[in-house]
Amino acid sequence: MRFSKILAGTIAGLVGVFFFFAIIGVFGLRLAIAGLAVFVLGAVVVCVAFPTQGSE
Amino acid sequence: MNLDPSTIARIQFAFTVSFHIIFPTMSIGLASFLAVIEALWLKTKKPVYFEIYKFWLSIFAMGFGIGVVTGIVLSFEFGLGFARFAQMAGPAIGPLIALEVLTSFFLEAGFLGIMLFGFHRVGPKLHFFATCMVAIGTLLSASWILSANSWMQTPAGVAIHDGHLTVVSWRHVLVNPSWLYRLPHMLTAAYLTASFMVAGIGAWYLLKGKHQHFARRTVSLGTAFATVLIAGQVFIGDILYGTMLKHQPSKMQAAEGFWEKQSQSPAPYYWFIVPDQNNQRNRFQVGIPYLGSIWLTHSLDGRVEGLSNTPRDLQPRMGIVFYAFRIMYGMGIVMFSVGVASLWLRFRGKLFSSRWFLWILVFMTPSGIIATLAGWYLAETGRQPWVIFGMLKTVDAISPVPAQALLSTLIAFVCVYAVFITAFLVFAFRIIRRGPEEAPPYAEASGSLKNAFRPYVLDSPGRLVP
Repeated sequence: MRFSKILAGTIAGLVGVFFFFAIIGVFGLRLAIAGLAVFVLGAVVVCVAFPTQGSE
Repeated sequence: MNLDPSTIARIQFAFTVSFHIIFPTMSIGLASFLAVIEALWLKTKKPVYFEIYKFWLSIFAMGFGIGVVTGIVLSFEFGLGFARFAQMAGPAIGPLIALEVLTSFFLEAGFLGIMLFGFHRVGPKLHFFATCMVAIGTLLSASWILSANSWMQTPAGVAIHDGHLTVVSWRHVLVNPSWLYRLPHMLTAAYLTASFMVAGIGAWYLLKGKHQHFARRTVSLGTAFATVLIAGQVFIGDILYGTMLKHQPSKMQAAEGFWEKQSQSPAPYYWFIVPDQNNQRNRFQVGIPYLGSIWLTHSLDGRVEGLSNTPRDLQPRMGIVFYAFRIMYGMGIVMFSVGVASLWLRFRGKLFSSRWFLWILVFMTPSGIIATLAGWYLAETGRQPWVIFGMLKTVDAISPVPAQALLSTLIAFVCVYAVFITAFLVFAFRIIRRGPEEAPPYAEASGSLKNAFRPYVLDSPGRLVP
């Protein structure tokens, strides 16, 4: 259980690093724009799907 | 004691503008946040949005007031400390500052009263309209000021005849090469500042087990806005980096900490340096191998241009430019990490229960202000020794006034601003301590200033002073 948590957290971190590198243009402008669009879209989807858990 | 007027004038402007920029950054971000919250309240009719609006309106109002007052001081300082700059640049930037007053100040002044005192006096839709107008006013204000400052960074649309500047194209003065990128960069910084403030205060209440409903909603909204905004900010920042590298290479050379005309290959990314400007070298440096090539040249073995490419007498001071950039960029990386972590925790349903993350949010409350200040230090110190890049040196822009006059006004500014910041912090902390549920439905006069500072007036502002 603990290992799976660490693994999941590490993967989430690596995905974050990949998006950061993409957005600052390391892989070119087109991928920077695509990376930004995917990240923002993903963030919006997560925020809409899990908007206020426990807040009501 | 021999005092150098140019040094005192620069210290004075640095102090007053550093103090000032904190408040517009907050009020630009909070004004738009309040407009979003009021729209949500009108749409959903959920009382929590009204509570959030009331709570943040008080802090916005205080920040707005201090921002306006300390901004006016800067205009006067053009004459007090930089008269030669005002004389030369006046034809280009004077109308921009006048337009700021005519558009944004008039808009804000017209609607701020309704926003602050209009609940229960005007209808909800008109009140929402007033909030939107104030938010648009802050955007317009930022737009004019960024245009003027960007013109100083990348001047265009002017010609100089016999030392006198003439505008040949207003379009090029206004839409100068860096304005299109610096404006969204600054606006996003302001929105990020507000997002982290909102999330940080909400996280504090969650940690203390108070005002749960309000706290959860603000943490949720603050982290959601911050996550989307920081991704956009990183992208805009990278585009702006490329623009400044083209128009002001000396600034970006100093910001990366390399002295050689071409760095070694692969280039490291320095996080700590001890620069020696006289000998054009670093005494000590710590960096991550390869990362400089990857981030700055987008290849594994690219070389980075150093500050030796700029003649010595036209070089900015590397130390302050480097660390200003590292603080801003480092803060951006931390913000991005917090955004990713918030998405992960939200996905796992632990956004409000992970105490370690809530503590991080609390510590990140002033992160936007710190990053914005560092960004402005990068912009302004990296432009040196020029006040108008490539046109007028800072040392030639100083007013012909005695250093003692500048020093006495500097001391006066420090004393007055110390009162401002103390009053702001005292009131802000009391509002936070009091919490959202006790916030009055609209602003009320509390009598004299002497009474206004007493805790019981803040705790129940409608009560008569005994």
